[in-house]
Order: sequence, then structure tokens, then C-alpha cells
Amino acid sequence: MTGLEDHEGDLAAALAKIGRTAMFAELVAQRWSGESVQVDSKTTTLSARPRLQGVVFRAWAGGHWQEAAASALAGAELESSVTRLASELARASGGPAPPGAPSTSRGEWKTQPRRALRDLGAEGTISLAKQCRDWALAVPGIGETQVRLSWDEEQRLYLNTAGARCYQAITRTHGLVVPIAMEGGRPEFDYWNAGGVGGLEVLGTLDEATVRGVAEGSKAMLAAKAPPAGAMDVLLDPSVGGLFAHESFGHGTEADQFVRDRSYLKPILGQQVGPESLTLVDDGSRVGAWGSIYCDDEGHQSQRTVLVDRGRFVGALHDRETAALLHATPTGNTRRADFLSRAFVRMTNTFVEPGDRSFEELISEVDRGVLLEHGTSGIEDPLGGQMQLKVKKGHRIEHGKLTDLVGSMALSGKVLDFLREIKGVGTKEGFVINPGFCGKGHSDYVPAGTGGVYLLSHAIVGTA
Amino acid sequence: MTSGGTSSDLAFRLAERIRAEPPWEVIGERARRYEVHFRGHEVELERGPLAVEGFGIRVLRRHGEATGTGFQASTDLSPEGLAAAVGDAETISRHAEFPAPSVELPDDGQAPPEVPLVDPKLWRDPTESLRAYVSALLAPFAGRAGVVPTFGSVRATLSEVTIANSSGLRVGFNGTNVDLEVAVKAFGGPEGTAPGEYWVTDEARRLAPERFPAAVDAWCRYAADVRRAKQPPTGELPVILPPDVLEGILPAGLGFRLSGVARLRKLAPTVGTQIGGENISLTDDGTYPWGAGSAPYDDEGLPRLRRTLVERGKVVGHLYDSLYGAAFKVPSTANAARSAVGPSMDLKFAHAPVPALSTLLLAPGSGGSLAELCEAAGEGILVQQLGWARPDAFTGAFGGEIRIGYRVRGGKIAEPVRGGTVGGTMFAAPGLPSLLASAVEIGDEPSLTGRLVSPAVLVRPLSVAGATA
Repeated sequence: MTGLEDHEGDLAAALAKIGRTAMFAELVAQRWSGESVQVDSKTTTLSARPRLQGVVFRAWAGGHWQEAAASALAGAELESSVTRLASELARASGGPAPPGAPSTSRGEWKTQPRRALRDLGAEGTISLAKQCRDWALAVPGIGETQVRLSWDEEQRLYLNTAGARCYQAITRTHGLVVPIAMEGGRPEFDYWNAGGVGGLEVLGTLDEATVRGVAEGSKAMLAAKAPPAGAMDVLLDPSVGGLFAHESFGHGTEADQFVRDRSYLKPILGQQVGPESLTLVDDGSRVGAWGSIYCDDEGHQSQRTVLVDRGRFVGALHDRETAALLHATPTGNTRRADFLSRAFVRMTNTFVEPGDRSFEELISEVDRGVLLEHGTSGIEDPLGGQMQLKVKKGHRIEHGKLTDLVGSMALSGKVLDFLREIKGVGTKEGFVINPGFCGKGHSDYVPAGTGGVYLLSHAIVGTA
Repeated sequence: MTSGGTSSDLAFRLAERIRAEPPWEVIGERARRYEVHFRGHEVELERGPLAVEGFGIRVLRRHGEATGTGFQASTDLSPEGLAAAVGDAETISRHAEFPAPSVELPDDGQAPPEVPLVDPKLWRDPTESLRAYVSALLAPFAGRAGVVPTFGSVRATLSEVTIANSSGLRVGFNGTNVDLEVAVKAFGGPEGTAPGEYWVTDEARRLAPERFPAAVDAWCRYAADVRRAKQPPTGELPVILPPDVLEGILPAGLGFRLSGVARLRKLAPTVGTQIGGENISLTDDGTYPWGAGSAPYDDEGLPRLRRTLVERGKVVGHLYDSLYGAAFKVPSTANAARSAVGPSMDLKFAHAPVPALSTLLLAPGSGGSLAELCEAAGEGILVQQLGWARPDAFTGAFGGEIRIGYRVRGGKIAEPVRGGTVGGTMFAAPGLPSLLASAVEIGDEPSLTGRLVSPAVLVRPLSVAGATA
């Protein structure tokens, strides 16, 4: 399979053909490569990223957007797709101009890992994964361990009829270690998870001490008590704080929800919503972070966008259409999951900026509450302003001290109430951006980083 | 050649050109997707055709007492593309290890069951069918005061799947799939009352516009009830879970733990283990008409089966494909599935098979209708919609936020509740509460939702966390 650049002439010609029947047209072509290794006590699995490629065309049909896609970058299949799109566009001639101004950016970007995982080769990566597995299995009581190491390079080419051309090749590296402890047929686990844009350097400290520590954590989960239930003080660790940032002011500030009149945040733009110690950011340009991109799928370069500035709700995430409708500028957040998926306003890396309270100070303020650790998932409610955050484990906090380890929990609450109740934001110690995937609704998953620092507030928690 | 009915022959053509040593298999897929996205009553975006044609090839190579499997997928159908994918698969197989010395792929001898999977009208004219479907969906909203659809989409995928292997198997089938998403907003009335939303998602095999008038009535009612809902109480309470909610819990919670994948890692309950009450019987039915997980064949080309997994609360079977079956020296149960949740396209050809549930059936019980289950509950909670409640695959812990539910008082559905959490565990040691052990009443009105056919269930108790004790 040849590279995207080998087909740029065919793609540009196809775009020009569509452009003859539309006021504006653009394309995103995509190609992947990569490798994943997964080992456990029974199996070794090596997977190559499928040799997939494709292109999606979007054109303005006078009153709405029209799209077509093909998994061929040249030849009859591409021609057929273009012809059918042009035919649909011809039926919809006339109408207003497309909303907003098109990008005219031109550029090329490519991740340069300091130490690429791919350079280890399959044997080297398998050897590293087995080493991690064996460190975990050496801990008494650990019956099984799964280790996964992967890298992935995605090339995207954006072209439009206004002259924009953006080519990017992003390399992401990811690692996961899950030691599983068993007792009386009951499995329990803790995990280590890291990833980012780059090579092995984004995995941080994947060493014996780290793996053994996670394995000990898995064993400890067997003795975890039931979590408390009800409304109480909640201290979110940085991973859970990141989920909070993502589900609360992340999804709520995707401005397509404003345009749909489906955001509880729209009426309070500009208002003070939390303490001065709270600043929330989406930053697609953050070097090395998992959700970073060089440019978005409308040809706008990624950027840092402050959503909440010292407690004041100041910004939203925009594509060209929402920017035009709401008198803003595009923020580089238009993303497609792949060439078969539509473009939406999406987050990149969303996080809580460090505050000024140490972990010890935050703990000492809690009389009765719970520390929520290892966020696993979240779900938003853009109109109602509720949020659900799920975590793998936690500790009770009693009279200013950490006490019992407790099992998995869900946090539920109204975002604005949660913000009002914030009692402290942690310092940069422990700041982290975790790798994850974000869906728009329940599909269209894109890499999204979430992170931040410790955050103390008040909410409902219960078993989950 | 056996075929469940497909208009494609992609895998068959590729099979003629494969020059690899057996055993190998190839899956071909031609998929077309069409979508209509709307904002309010206006079309925002029309998409389609989104056309993909590709294949995935798997080779299985013996390494002493183990097998090395190598898989690669590609959209490059040229001879060079096929050769490159075969080369990748061979390379990968040299590094892989699976504890089965010999794996037999299915041959071409068994007739498939009749499983309806294709919406003929959608297949014939997808663009106009979707436009008409969206019109039928939006029509019942017209003229309603204080309630609107804020946005939504209908996505239809038309797929032609073919499978061939070195044992001579040549099978294929077509299918349609429809994903619906609608956000319904209730608003207006007394100043200061926040709007409410009911968010609908579902997966089906066919367009069913006849359901919309009644369904839209219900969605509008739930959206309005969100506005006046209060938080639930905290406590261990009887909870009624309807099929829509169970669809997010049961298949995900059971699929892994009852699979050969879990058994190989000693994470599966063994045959004979009591994992639920005597009223719990679960069947995997890959032949269930219009089930999202149903098909004439599994994704290795074996005719789909109907098999009991749990009978009167006891495990009686596990799920295998050819590979995991070989590890235990048992035949495949026709549960090979190729799909993924994540960032890549959800196309069969791009994934190697693993054992998974097809369509899961929870046998009806004697609990009667939803109203009768509420009567049996006395005082409790009826959950209409939960947030992401998907169980942890290893531990079975599940739970989520109540998006909309109702207090049950004196055996009757009472005021709406929202917020707080409902959760518990799928499995527990004998004598301890769990969803499967504490499902005291199973309803008798099953319905198909995505990959689950189930009646509503009364669980006594589940943990509910709200604002007050």
C-alpha cells in the first residue's frame, strides 16, 4: 500500500471535481500503521494495525452539508463516490453560502518520538511486555497478568477548495499493566495505564517497582470494603479530576451543543461558576499529551483554549459553523473518529490546572468523606448539567485521615453544585494527563486526554 | 458453496489467489453506510454512500504444542495488497503463541439457519428510506408544546460478508444495521424550571417507523418527568430493571466471564457453578430473528446455534470459537465474533475473531408485567434509564447514575427520580447478594433490545445512593 502523498494528485483532482458543483468542498484522507503486543500467562498476541486507508469528502449543498467516503484513494471506487456526491450536490443547487470562513492554513507536521517503540521491533516489544508480566506474577497471590504495549501512527491529509493543505502524522504510544489477584474464585485487580503522543518516553516509569506496586494494589483490592453511599465530601485524585473536567466543562462547552440549544452552560457564559483557584483548559497543542493533534479536520491548527479562568466560565470549543453562529473563532477542535465518521466539535486534552493546596491539606479538611482513585469512565449530561464519574477504588476519609480501602464507585452530581462546593484545588504535584477515548454520544471515539490535580468538593457516591 | 445469501464474492475471489500454507481463512466485507443527522426539525447533514471494501486474513501456524496466529486486514484488494497482508500475517504468526497444538477451521458442510437480517426496503433504496424514516420520526413531535427534538441521527449500514478458508468453506450473508440517536428536550412552563432531556439510543436490524407515535409519546413524557424529578433515597432497595437497562448490563457482564477467553485465564465460573437464582436461565441464540448479534453464520463461517449457558442459575456451557475450543479440545460453539469498541471502524473484516455472545435470551419468569413487578416490589425504584452502567469484565461490578426513574410506592409507579446511583455486582459467592442471585422476580413480557431478549427484572436489593438516608 502506498502512502497518502502518492495519491494527493488523485485526491486533489477529485476535490476539484466536487468543487465545480459546490460552493465549498474539503476532504480528509487517512491512513494508519502500528503494532500492538499483548501478553498474559497463557498467550502472546502480536497485532498489526490493519492496512486501512480512506477518504471522506464534505461539500456544502446550499442548506446543509453533504458527505461521501470511500476506502480507495484512486481508481474506480473513488470516482464512483465522487460522481454520486456531485450528483447529489447538483440536485441541491442554490441556497446560502456555507457558515463561517474556511481555513487557508498550509503545513506539515510529524511526531518525532525520542525513542520509538517501533524501534524495539516485535521481539523487543514482546520481551519488554513479558518482563513486566513476570514482575507482576512474581508477587505472591497474583494469578494472572495482562500487559499491552502498542504504538500507532496515523496520517491525515486535509485539503479544501479555499487552498488549505494540512498534512500530519501522529505517533501515539500506550502501555497497560493489569495484574489480577484471585481469592476463592473471585478476581480483583488494579492497573497501570500511560500513553501519549511520542515514543517510549511517554510511558514514564514502567519499571519493576511500578509493576510490583500495582500488583500489590491488586491484592489489596481483594480486601476492599464496600464503598460508602450518599452525599459526602469527595476528594478526586488527578485521574478523576480529569474525568470531571472532561464530562463537566468539556462536553458542555462543545459549541455544537450551544447551537442545538442543548447546553446548560450556554446561558452562563461569562459568569463566575467556581472558586478562583479553579482553571479548566482544553489544549490540543500540548506536547506529548495523548489527545494532542497538530491541526483539526477543518484545517485549523490546534491550540490551548481556556474554558474556566479562575472560576469564571470564559470559553467554548468551536468549529467553523459554531464560531460563525456564535461570533467566535474556530479553536482547532473539529475531529472525525475516522474517514467513515462525521466531524463534530470534540475535546483534545482537557484538564484542571494546578492550584495551591497540598494533598495533606486537602485530606485534613475532610471530616467524613471518600478519596476517589483511578477514574475509569464518565458520562455527561449536556442539557441537564449532571455528571457521572466511575472509579476503580478509593479510601474512606475520617477525621482528616485516610482509612479503609473501598471498591469501585460512581459519583453523581450536578456540575454547578459541585463547582460551588469546591473547597480546594491541588498543587502541581501529581499532575497527570491520562490516555483515553471519548465518544460523542455513544459512538465516534477519538483519543482524548484527561487529567489534572486533586480536587476537593461534595457529591453523591455509591456502589458501581 | 453454501451461502446464507450474499451479493458479494470478495472472500471467494481472494481465496483463489491466496498462496499460503493451510490453515488460513479470509473474510471479505463490502459495507455501505448512509446517515441523516438533524438539528431540531432541519436536516443538518446527509452522508452516504460511505463505502468500504476490505478483507482480513488469518493464518494459524503450529509451534510445537502451541499455535501462532497471525492476522492482517487491508482495503487494498490488488494482488500486491493481498500478498502484503498475507506476508504480515505470516510474520505476526511467528511471534504469537496460543496454547493449542492444532486448530481446525470449519469446513463447508452444514446448512445455516434461516435468520432474517436484511431490511429489504432499506437495502433497495437506503437514501430515500432514511429520509422517510427521519420524517416519520419527527412527525409525532409536530404541534407539541414545550417539547422538541434538539438533535439526532439515523445511521444505516448495509454489509455483505463473505468467509472462505483452506478447508474449502465458502459462505456469506448480507445484513442491515440501524443506529438511532435522538435527544428530546422538555422546556417552558414556570420560570426558573430547568429544561429536561431524555436521550434515546438504540441498535436494530431494520427500520420500524410504526413504533414512533407511541415511542415519541413515551420519550416526551420521560423528558418532562426529568424536570420534576427528585433524587432517590439512599439504601438497599428493591429495584426494577426493564430490558433497555438490562441490555447495558447483562451481555457485557456475562459475555466475557462465560467465554473461553475467561476460562483459559481461570476467570470463568466452571460448569456446575451456581451463579444465580433458580429462576435465571440464559441462552445464547445466534439465530434469534433480527437480533443485533444474530446471523446465519458466526464470523468463522459456522452456522449459528442456540445454546443454553445458564440453567436454573447453574453454568452449563461456555462460548468458544475454533481457537479457544482447540485449547480445551472442544468444538467451537459458533460464537466467533469480530468487532471492537474503540477508535477504529466497527467493521468485521478489520478484526480477528474472538469468542463472544451473539444474542442473549433471559428466560421469562412468573413475575408478570411491569406493573405486577412494581406491585411485588412494594416500596422501591423503577429505573427507566441508567448512565454508563456497563459491568467490569473481571469483577462484575456494575452501576451508574439514574438518568430517569420512578419511586415505587405501595406497589404503584409514583414520582420521578433522577441523580444518585444504582449499583451492585453481577456475581457473588453463594449466599451473598448479586444481580443474578437477587433477581427475585423475572417478568413474563420479553422484548428484543439490541443484543438482549429479556423481560423486566425485580432485584431485591440493589444499592441505591441518593441525597438522604
